Amino acid sequence: MTFSDLVERLKAALGDGVVGVDEAHFDPAVRVRPQDVKQACRLLRDTLGMDTLRLLTAIDRPPESIEVAWHLVSVRGDTGTLVLKTTLPREAPKVATVSDVWASANWFEREQFDLLGVIFEGHPKLKRLMLPEDWVGHPLRKDYVRPDAYHGIPTSRENVTPVRTVSVPEHVAKAPETEGLMLLNMGPHHPATHGVLNFLLETDGEIVRRATPDVGYLHRGIEKLAELNAYAGTMPYTDRVDYLGGMFTNQAWAMAVERVAGIEVPRRAEFCRVIACELNRIASHLIATGCMAMDLGAYTPFIHWLRERETINDLMERICGARLTYTYMRLGGVARDIDAATLDKLLRWADHFEVMTLEFDRLITTNEIFVRRLATIATLQPADALSYAIVGPNLRASGIPWDLRRSEPYSVYPELEFDIPVGQGWRGRVGDAYDRFKVRLQEMHQSLRILRQAIAMLPEGEVRAKVPRVLKVPANEAYARVEAPRGEAGFYVVSDGTDRPWRVRIRTGCFTAMPLIEFLSPGLMVADIVALIGSLDVIAPEVDR
Amino acid sequence: MSDPREPVPLLGTPYEIEPCNPGDTGGEVITTTVDRFLNWFREGSVWYLLFATACCGIELMQTGGPRTDLDRFGAVPRTSPRQSDLLIVAGTITYKMADRVRLIYAQMAEPRYVIAMGSCANCGGLFQRSYSVVPGVDSVVPVDIYLPGCPPRPEALNEAILRLQDLMRGERWADKRKA
Repeated sequence: MTFSDLVERLKAALGDGVVGVDEAHFDPAVRVRPQDVKQACRLLRDTLGMDTLRLLTAIDRPPESIEVAWHLVSVRGDTGTLVLKTTLPREAPKVATVSDVWASANWFEREQFDLLGVIFEGHPKLKRLMLPEDWVGHPLRKDYVRPDAYHGIPTSRENVTPVRTVSVPEHVAKAPETEGLMLLNMGPHHPATHGVLNFLLETDGEIVRRATPDVGYLHRGIEKLAELNAYAGTMPYTDRVDYLGGMFTNQAWAMAVERVAGIEVPRRAEFCRVIACELNRIASHLIATGCMAMDLGAYTPFIHWLRERETINDLMERICGARLTYTYMRLGGVARDIDAATLDKLLRWADHFEVMTLEFDRLITTNEIFVRRLATIATLQPADALSYAIVGPNLRASGIPWDLRRSEPYSVYPELEFDIPVGQGWRGRVGDAYDRFKVRLQEMHQSLRILRQAIAMLPEGEVRAKVPRVLKVPANEAYARVEAPRGEAGFYVVSDGTDRPWRVRIRTGCFTAMPLIEFLSPGLMVADIVALIGSLDVIAPEVDR
Repeated sequence: MSDPREPVPLLGTPYEIEPCNPGDTGGEVITTTVDRFLNWFREGSVWYLLFATACCGIELMQTGGPRTDLDRFGAVPRTSPRQSDLLIVAGTITYKMADRVRLIYAQMAEPRYVIAMGSCANCGGLFQRSYSVVPGVDSVVPVDIYLPGCPPRPEALNEAILRLQDLMRGERWADKRKA
């Protein structure tokens, strides 16, 4: 179904509700009246197959308006993608919630309320998500002014005097929402939460009745910082969006800007990107599977993977000069070429690593204690996964073969041969924690396959297109996404004709995976929560950005 | 400066072995001071808290891993602040997190030390202009060692631990009691 067919169907149902169409945008958008948003969303989900809300963005347009954009995608249907837009008055931006249409909207709306002050009427819990409860103002509004201090801590380095003593904060005891349950606080400093994530567990003995994630402990405001920087200057920040998969956020950002600015990437650069990304995917999955094993009490496999990761870090250093925060991609290509010696080392490493995966399997994958901790735990049904906009290995473990490298092809992936591992219910049910673990292990093998092919196919040529030093991008907007280790890594760029973006919105897989913990946790044991968090592979910077 | 070719003993022996009586070749006694002995114990078991807030946490993990192996210097990871001597602030601290850092620091037993690992913990780093990032963890807790880098390499963190051991070696118990 094409875009114009979708518009016709919407017009037929809503009549005057459709106020316009932005055909000139790279992702064409339909504009509807604010009061018709909910009806349009219901229609799109129920009859037009838009089963996933992939992104919700509010864009400040002073002095009068705030725009809200819903990025929809049809994962199981054939209706493709669509952007739904509406314009709200800036003084009182109110629009109906769609959290009862797609579950992923719940957190998206809370985040946009927090950062831009858009009020989603009928939302079940419209509270701040990222910033502290007592924060004043909405930082992503264009007229936001940073205060001089927050709770006595200055906001600029010049005003900092190093402290010698510590004022211990007063302890405020929280009560569980349900009478008779016990409140157990997990995090933000907890070894099994993978960074600074906080969960409030309401427990009945050893059984968890509800786990409420509390995020924002690593909210660094990268979306705002991207507005302050030139397009090329945002590249280092994208590494820090996802520190285990920096290559992917690099590539997503490069692709978004290339798309909106119309830059062609040389063919050799595309292959360099694929090689770097697939190597990075393996490194990321090493931490994911290794940490998961460690959280469940198996320390040795984790140490094995740390050792393997050091060898990948060495290769990464040869490719881009950094171990962790790569900044390898540039707008229009990559920073530097991969030389023949490095390619040779890569191939030899691939042979070595294949043997190591067998050792890892012997250590943990078939270990009966480990399997029983994971099998049939926290089973995710496909319909729920789509409603929560789950992406990446977590979605594929639930039996949906949705991989952006195949489903919405980009770069040179259509030329490469690889399989998409899908959850089979190996030791329990399809979509349980063990499936999520096993899918990641199998993806590493597929990445090795891609790596070998890409090295064999690497063409000669330039690795960087000519891009002006001061890149001015005409007013337009585009969304670009790649298949990252934790699912979709996407950047939505709104440009305004200057050398800086007007609005940047970052889509990560972990942000939508977090509310899932609240959904899947009732009835699990406390120890299973650790298995659930580990199997979803959520990391804090992706959630908070 | 001493000759760089000469091997410098990194951990000086904290005691002397002396004969019992001058001129005697029989039994020997060990002489030392309380400070030297206490510091010797302390620097040999720097247990650090796994406090990984951001990107630096991954390098912290790799430093504890097989290649750099902080265990060689008696530094092993702990997951509870009650058992730790050293707080390695590995990553960005936001305003929402600041109170939690104070709490963790307060839960550690004296004597306690803090390494601010990476540019974010030193001064806000890349995120200085952000609305939600604390410009340096030293505005929240006292910092003993500032370790630059974004993120610092495992070798750099290793060096920081060694510098911390130097710091410990120069301490006097009486001063600590007064403070």
